[in-house]
Amino acid sequence: MIRALYSAASGMTAQQLNIDNIANNLANANTAGYKTRRAQFQDLLYQNLVAPGSSAGQSTVVPTGLQLGLGTRTVSNEIIFQQGDFASTSNPLDLVIQGKGFFQIKMASGDQGYTRAGSFHLDATGSFVTPEGDQLQPQITIPPNAQSINVANDGTVSYTLPGQTQTQNAGQITLANFQNPAGLNSLGRNLFQPTDASGAATVGTAGGADGLGGLLQGYLEQSNVSVVDQFINLITSQRAYEANSKVVKAADEMYQQVNSLRQ
Amino acid sequence: MDTISISAASGMRARMESLEMLANNLANTETGGYKGDREFYSLYSSLESTADPGTGASTQLPVIESHWTDFAQGDLRVTTNPLDFAVEGEGLFAVDTPRGVRYTRNGSFRVSAAGAIVTADGSTLRARGGGKITLDANGTVEVGTDGTVRQNGQTLGQLDLVTFDRDALNKEASNYFAASGNAPGRPAKGAILQGKVESSNVSPAESAVRLVAIMRQFEMLQKAMTIGSDLNRASIEQVARVAA
Repeated sequence: MIRALYSAASGMTAQQLNIDNIANNLANANTAGYKTRRAQFQDLLYQNLVAPGSSAGQSTVVPTGLQLGLGTRTVSNEIIFQQGDFASTSNPLDLVIQGKGFFQIKMASGDQGYTRAGSFHLDATGSFVTPEGDQLQPQITIPPNAQSINVANDGTVSYTLPGQTQTQNAGQITLANFQNPAGLNSLGRNLFQPTDASGAATVGTAGGADGLGGLLQGYLEQSNVSVVDQFINLITSQRAYEANSKVVKAADEMYQQVNSLRQ
Repeated sequence: MDTISISAASGMRARMESLEMLANNLANTETGGYKGDREFYSLYSSLESTADPGTGASTQLPVIESHWTDFAQGDLRVTTNPLDFAVEGEGLFAVDTPRGVRYTRNGSFRVSAAGAIVTADGSTLRARGGGKITLDANGTVEVGTDGTVRQNGQTLGQLDLVTFDRDALNKEASNYFAASGNAPGRPAKGAILQGKVESSNVSPAESAVRLVAIMRQFEMLQKAMTIGSDLNRASIEQVARVAA
């Protein structure tokens, strides 16, 4: 009986965490470059009350035995790196990656971070920076008198100066990729950091033979959270929570009846 | 104890175990590829009662003899994640764990830092004929219904699907089944669908009905036990009374 109570409690804890995860996904439904996280569950250990294969008589053995499970646990909430929708912004400094790859960002701490959010700005020195002021790597600098900025599919950044027809090359944006992007560590602020599980970053040219996505200027990658899916998950999760709470109640009532046996 | 109380106590104990099983099923309604457990009721007959069926009425007791796992298909949920594989029909994925080969219906995989397809706890998915499938960091992964894994136009291998006799599999934690005696299993005919995962096959509605049934049966047995004790008390207090 105590097992039933603890199994149901583990189910409730797991659903609580599931709802926490759904809430974070929904809260980031409008965060550019946000990637959905999905909670995953596994069953816990099984207790063998009758071991399979144990002897049931002189010549017979128990074929399957009696195993009682002890509930569930959350094993991970992995990042789903599915492409988000593109929103047209007409801002020349908004970039999307069409396919795999991450922008490389030098964080204020000096460490390297990676992001899918391609909403860039120019800082006081004319460098490409994130809305937080962290610099894009490799560093791209645009002079203040530049008339138009153009980013090609392969990441080449060029601009024109007043009175000139020839374009000036400002450098090339390269992208990083990981063997296992789902193993990246989320830092918040749309930034990811590599871990032992993700593998080290491999840097390559956008849109090229490296298999990395091409860059598209004037668009922003929206969050890949599907609000409909999240709501469906919310409903099933809430109902599962409710069902588990009913088991707690049932176990409690059965206990009460046991306690009332002795009059 | 009297016969009514003994039978009722045995029945109550069995219902408690049923509830424990149901609690585990319900706790795992969101566990991918989870297969529900059911109890198998039986009658315990003591030696005296089998030797002389005419007299030994008191020693037949209801017990849960064993459990069986319901391998019915769970609902398939579309995730569009290229490393989610659902098995439709029979068959389990074979996985190399540190404890040996284990089998699972949970088709939610990921890539390890070395490029192998692994489960959530990092165990490697087996390819047909042993070995593993190593993916490249770049390029789309395509998996056919027969389990053939292709990337960048190259065939990397075929996923192994195996099946067993119903009684040969025992549940282990973390969605795994172990084969008794480490039997290798037979090739399975199930289809592998990419971008989908199989949900738990536990139906919350059916479980709720079973929950009510267990509770009511428990209540009835408790009443039977009370009646048994009332009869006992009556015989102690009234039958033995000497008329004044």
